[in-house]
This record gives sequence, structure tokens and C-alpha cells, in this order.
Amino acid sequence: MIALKAKDRSALEYLYDHYAGAMLGVISRIIKKEELAEEILQDVFLKVWDKIGSYDQTKGRLFTWMLNIARNQAIDKTRSKEFSKDKKTGDIDNFVDRINTEGFVEQRVEVIGLLQLLKELPDDQRFIIDQHYLKGYTQAEISEEFNLPLGTVKTRMRLAMKVLRKLLVE
Amino acid sequence: MNVEAYISSGILESYAQGELSEQERLEVENNLRAYPELRKELSMIEDVQEALLQKAAQQPRASVKLDLFAKIDAGLPVTKVVPLPVTTTSATNWKLAVAAAVTIALISSYLAYDYRDKWIKTQGSLTQLIAQNQRVAQDYNQVNQRLNQLETDLNILNNPAFERIVMTGRPNTPNALASVYWNKSSQEVYLSIQDMKTLTAEKQYQLWAIIDGKPVDAGVFDGSFTGLLKMKNITSGASTFAVTIEPKGGSKTPSLETMQVAGNVIKG
Repeated sequence: MIALKAKDRSALEYLYDHYAGAMLGVISRIIKKEELAEEILQDVFLKVWDKIGSYDQTKGRLFTWMLNIARNQAIDKTRSKEFSKDKKTGDIDNFVDRINTEGFVEQRVEVIGLLQLLKELPDDQRFIIDQHYLKGYTQAEISEEFNLPLGTVKTRMRLAMKVLRKLLVE
Repeated sequence: MNVEAYISSGILESYAQGELSEQERLEVENNLRAYPELRKELSMIEDVQEALLQKAAQQPRASVKLDLFAKIDAGLPVTKVVPLPVTTTSATNWKLAVAAAVTIALISSYLAYDYRDKWIKTQGSLTQLIAQNQRVAQDYNQVNQRLNQLETDLNILNNPAFERIVMTGRPNTPNALASVYWNKSSQEVYLSIQDMKTLTAEKQYQLWAIIDGKPVDAGVFDGSFTGLLKMKNITSGASTFAVTIEPKGGSKTPSLETMQVAGNVIKG
């Protein structure tokens, strides 16, 4: 972290090697076009490099900070004039298909593993996690799109995250 | 504040997902500072989120990284530039003027250098072109001369007044071959070589016409010309033409043992 703040290039490289994949995942759930998504990924890392001085550890993880930059950059792009309207990646099957056809075998295994894991969740909670983390909808969008009160979405999200904590982290 | 209820509301998840309004976000940040339990909880949520997103990662192509770091490397010096402190307006103007002057000077020097460079290159190209042009002109002259020669030769070959006498090789020179074109009325003699070996520098070929059984000198030649070679005039009455090898400059009488080719005039 200190190295990164001191603008150590190799620190950024480390960051890229560990987080670029997750960030591109987030971006490409909002921006379908691969090339455009990769362009945004570059912008995200340029912004991280530029704004690293303003990152405050007490407010959350670096990953979370970057995640929000990535999401905002991608959403900004969808609002820009040049961007056509078809933004969401479609359903999870398409997601798996796409990765499959593009030959990311390793990643496919990861995603299948993830889907297996999500089966542990009750249907209503899995739905929320799927919509948010795998399809890129915000909680507010889920609430609006599926006619669920925002409070319900929040509670299910909260419960799902608690279950996943046991499965993923502990 | 009831920390339990606060956590249960799911607001920390929304915070980690970046979904809060500016006001809500600031509020959560204040609470995070105040309640260590909240920080612990947030950290757990972030763990889950990170693990989920790492599993749903999509690796960019390798070129993206190369390109990104190329951009960053190109941008590195820029981020290290310290802006000049702004003092008074007049000083700023003065600095701007100096900066402009320096910029113009730099651009001018560069352009001058650039044009000089281009000029030198152009000079070089011009010299080269002139030389090339001379070479082409020389080649043209040579070709032209050769063409004239060929036209003359062709006129002789086409002229029915010229008789062709084919001189074939002798037993010791079976492959040698040459021809004489002889105009009996004008007495002109031309020689063409089809196949004669090259001689040493001290030797030359000599053409003979046999008139009334006696050899008459028709001139010497080297074996290395193409086309037709004009020889000495020969009066009518020659029955045979032959070529011998003689010392350079030729002999008065032929060394018959060195005869290379010979051919009889067809009586007409």
C-alpha cells in the first residue's frame, strides 16, 4: 500500500495481476463489448494510479475502492452518447456459455464452482446474489425490475452474504 | 446507536457495493470510525464480496496490460512535474512571454534544422539523379551505336549482291565456323564469326582469299567481335576463303598448318 502511494510501478503491477480479472468481470457485466470493457479496465487502473493518494484505508478495502471506481466508470460509459443501449450480459447461462466458447477453461471451472456454491443459498437469496454479482444489477435496479421492496432486497442480500461468509471465507 | 440493528439493515452491504447516496455514505464512514464492530463487520462483507468477484473474474487479454503500462510509463514524468508557484500577475505574464519566446525559438531551431536536413538530403538525391541520368545517356548512345551497326549489318545480309561463303572447321578444329560476305562487283568483304576460339595476345587470325591458287591477304582480326567486320577488298576470281592463325599483325604468306576454317565460293 505504501509502495503504491509512493507511485511504485511494480506495486500497481501487483495490483493489476491480482485484481484486473475481478474488475473486468464487474465491468463486462455492465459493458458487454469485450474491447470496450477492456478499455474501461485500463481507465480504471489509470484512475487508481492517479487517485491513489486519495484512498483512505479507514473507509474500506482497496479492492472495494477499486470496485466502486470500476463500476462507476462502466456506468458512466453506459450513459455516454456513444454507448448503445444493450448493456446487460443476459442471464447466467449466457455468461457461462460466453466464457466457455472463449476458451477460458480455468475461469469456467471457477464460475461453475461458484454456481455450485450458490446452490447452498435459498432461492430468493441466490436470486439477489446472482442478479447483483453475476449480472451487474444494483440493489435499486433489482428492486425496480422485479417489483421487490428495496428493504426486502437489502435483507436478502444481508442474509445471503452471511451464509456466503461461512462458505467462502471461514 | 443499536449496532446490531444497524448491521441487520444491510446498510454495510450497500456501502461496500457503492450504492449509497453521498449523505448516507458519509454517515456510514462516521459510524465506522465510532464503532469498531462495524469495521469488523464491513471487513467480513468485503471478504465475501472480494471472494465472489474473484470467482467471477474474467481475465483481460495480455495486450491490455502491456498497453496500460505503456500508458503509465509514458505518463510517469508528467505526474512528477511540480507546478510553478503563481506569484504576481505581471510576473506570470513575464514568465508566459519567456515561455512563449523559448517555445518559438525551440520550434524555429527545430524547423531550421529539419529544413537543412531535408535540403542536404535533396542535394544528395539531385547529384545521384544527375549521375544516373548521365549513365542512362551513355547506355542509350551505346545501344544506339549498336543498333546502327546492326542496321548496317542487316543491309549487307539482305543485299543480294553479297554472296555468303560459309567457312567450316578443319579436321583439327571441327567446331570452328565463320562466314564471309563478298560483293563481287564492289569487291567488299565482310566477315562474321559463328564460333572461333579466343587467341593469345601475340596471335591474330588472318583471312585469306585464294585467287588462281595463290593466297591473297584479306586482313587480320581478333576472335572477339560480334556482327560483321569489314575486311580488305578482294577482286573477283577468288575461289576459296580461309582463316589461319598468324603472329599479331599478320603474315605475307599463310601458315597453312594453322588453318582454322575454309570455304569455297560457289561458282555462279
